[in-house]
Amino acid sequence: MACQAAGEEPPRPCCNGYSELPSAEVRRALAQYRPEKRSREAAAEGGELPALEDAYLSILEGLGENPARQGLRLTPRRAAKAMQFLTKGYQETIEDILNDAVFDEDHDEMVIVKDIDMFSLCEHHLVPFFGKVHIGYLPIKKVVGLSKLARIVEIFSRRLQVQERLTRQIALAITEALKPAGVAVIIEASHMCMVMRGVQKMNSRTITSTMLGVLREDPKTREEFLTLIKN
Amino acid sequence: PPPPPAPSRPLEKPRYSQGTSSQCLDSWKEERTRSEEDNEMNLPSLAAAYTTILRSLGEDPERQGLLRTPWRAATAMQFFTKGYQETISDVLNDAIFDEDHDEMVIVKDIDMFSLCEHHLVPFVGKVHIGYLPNKQVLGLSKLARIVEIYSRRLQVQERLTKQIAVAITEALRPTGVGVVIEATHMCMVMRGVQKMNSKTVTSTMLGVFREDAKTREEFLTLIRS
Repeated sequence: MACQAAGEEPPRPCCNGYSELPSAEVRRALAQYRPEKRSREAAAEGGELPALEDAYLSILEGLGENPARQGLRLTPRRAAKAMQFLTKGYQETIEDILNDAVFDEDHDEMVIVKDIDMFSLCEHHLVPFFGKVHIGYLPIKKVVGLSKLARIVEIFSRRLQVQERLTRQIALAITEALKPAGVAVIIEASHMCMVMRGVQKMNSRTITSTMLGVLREDPKTREEFLTLIKN
Repeated sequence: PPPPPAPSRPLEKPRYSQGTSSQCLDSWKEERTRSEEDNEMNLPSLAAAYTTILRSLGEDPERQGLLRTPWRAATAMQFFTKGYQETISDVLNDAIFDEDHDEMVIVKDIDMFSLCEHHLVPFVGKVHIGYLPNKQVLGLSKLARIVEIYSRRLQVQERLTKQIAVAITEALRPTGVGVVIEATHMCMVMRGVQKMNSKTVTSTMLGVFREDAKTREEFLTLIRS
């Protein structure tokens, strides 16, 4: 998502069979409202911590607890800071973490990083969902530092998210950074909003995937990826 | 027809002694501090607080995915703290039976979900309960309901363990009670030290479970297998 200020048309990406990538407007709609610039400025001024603390204090009172008791006295501040940490992805951009870790390598076999632990917040209930991310890509002359894949996961997961959108954002970010022949992202997660409340199904897991490029078009490549992440 | 229940007064009167963290252990019989009417009355202010939170985090509360989130999050939070609406007497009153049984009764692997009172982040785990009855046994699901009442609150794992044990003791007067909780704290996994696989284990042993090492050992062996 390197150079998309709102309203600007991004340069045409090299095609590589990405005709199914949505147009720029759709991509903007898919991406969340991008508060990065505003958040960075707000964070530089000391952030919104007081407003968050007041909100948490009124939540404690609204739940019938006694915010003056010893265990809860500092809870508004701790909960506010915890929530800021859990949504710190809004302050980070892909360029920051990727710019110097893309290397020219003459490698055109699949690269997979699997079992990346992921923790996110469901945007509908503000309750955590967590699981594992498996990423695979087929490089064309450019590979990325392996931990950067995990950092991309971190940036997009530390936000208020929907698992489908998270999967797609990770795949699109890798695509735009590397222009590989194909990218695949699979997320397998457990949603506390389903486990702790609502239907209360303890052992259910949600699996979403995004396949782009040759991993979408060629079933053998896709099958190789799915087999390699299985065990 | 009986008159409808009077709505609870809003929460401006102090109902607790300040500063003592153990006051919840004393009055387990009279514990209800919240009612359905309270929930309805407080929902708008909870939702407003969540809207403020969304805005302060830099999100746009008007976008489609977040439009109803303050209400959903407020209702979810009320569900996660519904233990404040329930008392042990409601749950137990008719499920205590006279049985001439004096061997250990264990209910293990009870899934437990609670909220850490320090960060308002969930901690989840399993509860294992064992007791040695003294002429009175308890309906088995009531043990799980006791766990629910105390875990659906803002909790500290140590206090949760003790409250469960004390409630069983006061309801049944058994010869001994043992409660072991093994939990994963999201506040340690998702933030802070970020130790993915750490588990916290707390236990409370009362009566003969505390005094007699063999009984305790039998309990711990049986919950391990």
